[in-house]
Amino acid sequence: MNCSHEAVELMHKYLDHDLTKEEEGRLRVHLEDCEACQKHFHELERTIKLVQNTEQITAPADFKKSVMQKLPAEKKNVKYLR
Amino acid sequence: MDLITREKIKQVKRGDQSAFEDIVSFYQNKIYQHCYRMLGNRHEAEDIGQETFIRAYVNIHSFDDKRKFSTWLYRIATNLTIDRIRKRKPDYYLDAEIRGTDGLDMYSQLATDHRLPEEEVQGMELQDYINQQISGLPPKYRSVIILRYLEEFSLQEISDILDIPLGTVKTRIHRGREALRKKLRHV
Repeated sequence: MNCSHEAVELMHKYLDHDLTKEEEGRLRVHLEDCEACQKHFHELERTIKLVQNTEQITAPADFKKSVMQKLPAEKKNVKYLR
Repeated sequence: MDLITREKIKQVKRGDQSAFEDIVSFYQNKIYQHCYRMLGNRHEAEDIGQETFIRAYVNIHSFDDKRKFSTWLYRIATNLTIDRIRKRKPDYYLDAEIRGTDGLDMYSQLATDHRLPEEEVQGMELQDYINQQISGLPPKYRSVIILRYLEEFSLQEISDILDIPLGTVKTRIHRGREALRKKLRHV
């Protein structure tokens, strides 16, 4: 198997849950034999974990209030303007 | 929440502004975070996040009740952030605070380009470094990575949000993961 193309392509398909049984088998066999691809695969999985573990950010305290103040007037006011 | 959201949207469509307040309450942190990750600074995130809700309110009648509301809302937010990124003047980039760097701007970034990633990471918290690497991705890769791994949308939902084919979502997510892998493998 060509590491830089086929194997890496299969790794990404694996991460997207897109592998067929046959492809999964081929990837597994290749990973057992190829240290460089094992490393690449672990780096990809770790990258995803690092991204997922970043902290959650919350909106500023007055966010909702500011939105509500900026909304156009309710319908009854539109009628009044007419 | 989905049933409650549906009911609230019906009320908003009938002209009930207070029902919209509940929708803002429920989605404000998600949308603010999305804008923050896309734009990389708090001021713009607040501005574009608020604009997202105002657009949603004004255009609520064009929302098809059979669709998922969150997908529709994220689509508005993502389009607005990408418009904002496109409209930035070149000097804006240099003065803008990069998220997670606590005041560092592009000028200091330029200076750090020559350093090895290991040395760079030592100078700041790991979290900040990761955030900075996400913010540093080109917008088309950044948006799919954020939607997939921070907002946990499916690939099909991302295709709906960004209005691009599923195959394009896959290509972008592959490239985004590879770009981040190269930046994060040393940490």
